[in-house]
Amino acid sequence: MTTESVLRPAAEQQYAAELAALAAADDRPRPPQWRMSPQAVVTYVLGGRLADGTVITPKYVGDRRLVEVAVGTLVTDRALLLVGVPGTAKSWLSEHIAAAVSGDSTLVVQGTAGTGEDQVRYGWNYARLIAEGPSEAALVASPVMKAMRTGAVARIEELTRMPAEVQDSFITILSEKTLPVPELGIQVQAVPGFTVIATANDRDRGVNQMSSALARRFNTVVLPPPATEDAEVEIVSARSAQLGRALQLPAEPPALEEVRRVVRIFRELRNGSTVDGRTQLKKPSGSLSTAEAISVVTSGMALAGHFGDGTITADELASGLLGAVVKDRVSDTAAWREYLEAVVKERAEWRDLYRACQDAVG
Amino acid sequence: MAREQPLPERVTLLGIRHHGPGSARMVAAALEAVRPEVVLIEGPPEGDALLPHVPDLTPPVALLLHDEAEPARAAFWPFAEFSPEWRAMKWAHANGVPVRFFDLPAAASLAEPSDSPDSPDAPGDEPGDEPGGESGGECGGECGGDEPKAALDPLGTLAEAAGFDDPERWWEDVVEHHTDPEDLAEAVAEAMGALREEFADQVDARTLRREAAMRQNVRQALKDVEGPIAVVAGAWHVPALRTLPPASVDAAALKGLPRKKISGTWVPWSHGRLASASGYGAGIASPGWYAHLWECAERGDAVPRWFARACAVLRAEDLPASTASAVEAVRLADALAAMRGRPSPGLSEVMEASLAVLCGGDATPLRLVHEQLVVGERLGEVGDDVPTSPLAADLARLRKRLRLPVSAMAKPIRLDLRKDTDRERSKLLRRLEVLDVPWGTPDTTRTLGTFAEAWQLHWKPEFEVALAVAARHGTTVEAAARTVLVTGAGDARRVVDAAESLSRSVGCEIPEAVAAARQALDRCAAAATDALELLAALPDLATTVRYGSVRGTDPELLRVALHGLLARGAVGLPLACRGVDEDTAERAVRAVEGADDAVRLAADEEHRETWQRALKSLVAMPDAHGLPTGRATRLLWETGAIDSDEVAARLHRAVSLAAGATAFVAGFVRGSASLLTADSRLFGVVDEWLTGLSGADFAAALPLLRRAVGEFSPAERRMLGDRVKGTAAGGAAGGAAASSEWDEELAARLAGHVRELLAAGT
Repeated sequence: MTTESVLRPAAEQQYAAELAALAAADDRPRPPQWRMSPQAVVTYVLGGRLADGTVITPKYVGDRRLVEVAVGTLVTDRALLLVGVPGTAKSWLSEHIAAAVSGDSTLVVQGTAGTGEDQVRYGWNYARLIAEGPSEAALVASPVMKAMRTGAVARIEELTRMPAEVQDSFITILSEKTLPVPELGIQVQAVPGFTVIATANDRDRGVNQMSSALARRFNTVVLPPPATEDAEVEIVSARSAQLGRALQLPAEPPALEEVRRVVRIFRELRNGSTVDGRTQLKKPSGSLSTAEAISVVTSGMALAGHFGDGTITADELASGLLGAVVKDRVSDTAAWREYLEAVVKERAEWRDLYRACQDAVG
Repeated sequence: MAREQPLPERVTLLGIRHHGPGSARMVAAALEAVRPEVVLIEGPPEGDALLPHVPDLTPPVALLLHDEAEPARAAFWPFAEFSPEWRAMKWAHANGVPVRFFDLPAAASLAEPSDSPDSPDAPGDEPGDEPGGESGGECGGECGGDEPKAALDPLGTLAEAAGFDDPERWWEDVVEHHTDPEDLAEAVAEAMGALREEFADQVDARTLRREAAMRQNVRQALKDVEGPIAVVAGAWHVPALRTLPPASVDAAALKGLPRKKISGTWVPWSHGRLASASGYGAGIASPGWYAHLWECAERGDAVPRWFARACAVLRAEDLPASTASAVEAVRLADALAAMRGRPSPGLSEVMEASLAVLCGGDATPLRLVHEQLVVGERLGEVGDDVPTSPLAADLARLRKRLRLPVSAMAKPIRLDLRKDTDRERSKLLRRLEVLDVPWGTPDTTRTLGTFAEAWQLHWKPEFEVALAVAARHGTTVEAAARTVLVTGAGDARRVVDAAESLSRSVGCEIPEAVAAARQALDRCAAAATDALELLAALPDLATTVRYGSVRGTDPELLRVALHGLLARGAVGLPLACRGVDEDTAERAVRAVEGADDAVRLAADEEHRETWQRALKSLVAMPDAHGLPTGRATRLLWETGAIDSDEVAARLHRAVSLAAGATAFVAGFVRGSASLLTADSRLFGVVDEWLTGLSGADFAAALPLLRRAVGEFSPAERRMLGDRVKGTAAGGAAGGAAASSEWDEELAARLAGHVRELLAAGT
């Protein structure tokens, strides 16, 4: 299967060339089972240029130290917990680190309220179980178990969405590095290189607080929202251009000016005050993350490509903005209207955006 | 022949980074190897006389030098346990080798223009404080303005060339972690030589002068001894010392420098002051970390011990931090160091590992670790034998007797003034305050009775400068405070100043000063023509009267003064409120309020009456400003001197003459929303007056009321509103209106009224 034929190729497929170049150029010692040295992993994530001229695109824009601490944690075979508000690239970072370290980012357990222990530990192939009785052949290994056997990185998405008792089944795995199967009287012992990257967000409703016994077994890295407007603009424009390519949108990559407007609106509403600090704003209930800003721009591109002339204008952005900001019909609509009147209207060069948003709000 | 001569072989130049533990190790090892006959250290030669006291000191300490004629011109040269200069002094002392400071004399550096003598926050106006051999902005922005500043950061430049973003880290990697300190000196000298060549044009005149002085002193040392000489100086100066130009050139450069008599002493210093965080021009960010590195260098367990201490800090605050976590933290720090290609974990690695492992990514507990370990507050000690000014010695004696140890951390204390020791303590703190040494700050957040005081004690090293300044006022704390207070009283020109001086004198319990302040008060009162000024002095005085008995001053004496002021102020009050502008009216209200409090607190029966008469005549004065009049009416009504009917009449009258009416109502109800809600009598009076107004009168009064009530906070207004509703519901008259139903008729009437008002407005 080529990467062209799937909607969203995994990181190790999409960046196979970069990973291969990095591994080839890498002459530093590699921890057991690692595809490349920790330094090369950091370079893969943050981007750079190799000695042979290969350009590594940056996957994560942010503090180098955070990435180094994250990778350093995996070197010490400790589990890594990435925490942050929604849309701060937790899963994104986790996927890319896993792809670089073990060449496989697909050993994922998605945490939901319905995640059970068998998804974390192991399940059974019942037909076989009944036919042959308990045997290793009837065992269905979870992604975590597979990772333990091969010494790879297992990813746990949204750890705190799992019920607390399911979360706690990680305690043995993380501290003993074994997974007992009492039915067969065996235990799966982890191969060196096995580790876990979990993500959790600390803002959403409907999460189950992690027990402190489990929290102690993780090194925690908090991913902050982009520090400056410029950094965020860079992320949004780069990602939406990439996405546009992947989705084969007919539109041109957006002008930097449009991206900057979206980012500024998001930042101002998120911080509850305007850039110049002069006006106090109502904060909408949504998280208004960078990820949502990216999706506003890509949906604008889609609209422009299919229904417009291919370049993004205020009209294409307006409906996306409305959808991103207004999560709660009553209070968010009020906040949005207030923002339009108090801020957007006052900015002379934003006239088009004001009119378009007015029309969208109705 | 006038040629540059290379420095003789027997001189060993040790280029250091001030306060760098690696440099300190290098110096210690080099001295052991070279075994010099004399050691020269960067610092002012005037400090030589104080060097014999080194064994009596516990670092961090600072050399304090000040101009004898003008003690506020002072500078500190701080040394920590891990300062290379300190190691050199210790070594010389232990081996009986003479040691000298060989920089430009302090007489010259202190005389440089534009250092602000009265800003204790910036005493470190000295190269001695620089962390890395005079890195950029050498004087923390305080240098002489007419000299071209070296806009240059030698370490930053080198670090940048090496690909580091932070010069501190670079130095830490290349120097502090270097395992063999002895051959470092040569490498540092070479690097600095190259740098100096490149930036030759950016070396300022002051640095050149200092280096000329250094070379002169090296020449002198060469003459004095036959054997090896060790020179400890900031790395930046090393290239300038490697060759000796003809002595006459340096002598010319040093010609005409100011000569002054300089005296000085050793003072305790603190890690907090070493850290750049406290606004200390250019300091080191992590004195605690450096001290830790220094202490652990012998044992080689710096990183594990660091995490053990971090765990202890967190546990002391009841935060979870297990030994198992410490183990993981050490592993992560090692992994990070390896990934970054560093020889061993540095401060950034241990802090990042602490954050990820020990603090669960939360920056709040990490701040604790930063405060207690990275800065690691520590106060040095200075032995008893170190010469100080008689005043400082007296203070030390008092501290010991009263058991008030100095501490670099703020510490609250409580004093019971009925106990002798506590009273003495309070006296000492107040006297020091007079001397501009605010060691204790009165803690007014906790109101205590007459006999108890709360203070916040926080000793700051810069107080030593203030002490040196105060030393000329007397040889003991008491004598110095007396001089300052008596002089201050003599200079007082306004009643308020004299009253303040009096209350300070009473607090300090210095009878001569009390007498002087009394005289000053009489003198100022006699000259004062403004009744408000007289009255404004009353609150201060009243408090003094109250505390006088505890303070060993005869309260009667003070009461007489109070009465004198009150009598004269009372007579002048009504006139002072006539035909005045808004600002004066504000002052008048404050004076009336303060004076009323003072009268209730301290005046006798006779003078209470005097005050009441004054208020009455103010109320009766037809053209007095409404604000104080309203206030006076209210005060009179509260004491029962006028009854509610009269108040209602007064309110009516005030509103009937439109001008000044707002002021009257404002003055009457102002600042008392809670009183208005709570006091049913007061509420009744206002309510009765309001409901008694005819329709037209009410309309006329409405804007005034709105403005008076507008000063209340929203919470107070809501409280007041609830109260009105409560009365209305409870009263017989308004029962029907208080239903929750929408009253169409009422609404229509209201709308009509609003329309009328708007029409009138346009």
